[in-house]
Amino acid sequence: MLRSQTSRLDKDTRKRTSSGRRPPPEKVAITVRLDRARVRQLQAAADAENRTLTNYVETALIRDLSLRDEASRVITMHAAPGTSASIFAGDIVRADGESDAAHARRQALLIELWSIPDSD
Amino acid sequence: MVPGAFVRVMFPTREKPRQPGLLHIGYVLGGTPTEVMVAYTTSRPWPAATPLPAGAWLFDREEAAALNQSRAFMLRLDVLAKLPITEAWFPDIAQPGQGVIAVTPARLRDELTGLATNLARRRRDLIQMRGTRRPAPIENGTS
Repeated sequence: MLRSQTSRLDKDTRKRTSSGRRPPPEKVAITVRLDRARVRQLQAAADAENRTLTNYVETALIRDLSLRDEASRVITMHAAPGTSASIFAGDIVRADGESDAAHARRQALLIELWSIPDSD
Repeated sequence: MVPGAFVRVMFPTREKPRQPGLLHIGYVLGGTPTEVMVAYTTSRPWPAATPLPAGAWLFDREEAAALNQSRAFMLRLDVLAKLPITEAWFPDIAQPGQGVIAVTPARLRDELTGLATNLARRRRDLIQMRGTRRPAPIENGTS
């Protein structure tokens, strides 16, 4: 089932390529053996999202890989346009009732975090 | 903005990282009067088979309730955003409470600072390790 859907996808890919759009990355067909009941569940979930079974499985796998990749990255930083690349310790706002030692630890942390470049 | 506060923020998405994203509750690690470092939170359950990220701190329903949040959630100290303190990023900034949901007690704030510090150290160590583990250059004509 997966293989036949992939070949349909390949035909679509060829059509898109001939229409002048950038071709998507080459796809490789694989065979997956699953319990009949599991396939029924997957098909029902795919139908509910108006997707093909192949697309549903591929999306689930990509999502899983993305989560694993994210888990292995230590810090992901989003820096809004116009924010500074560094800060001075003296500019860091102190929390209410924060001790000097705790504030110093947070200052050191924020100075380091501020220097991390945007991840994207 | 108060360090240690949970605040309503338009946290940037992975798809559009440079624009205000979806309304979330973020944790304020700290900052200056004009810019702030915010950590991401989510109440979506983490998939059981996937290892938790190193920067995850879980709050159960009871702990969440103590911070004025109705559901259990996960704080991600490894997913950060450096944001200007403006209405575009903090939609309630002009309101009396400035969109602050709750402020963590000092002890929890210090623990979270500790976890974030460990993460930053780990990141620094990894970068240094990559720098020193380059293969030795091949010398021509010597043996």
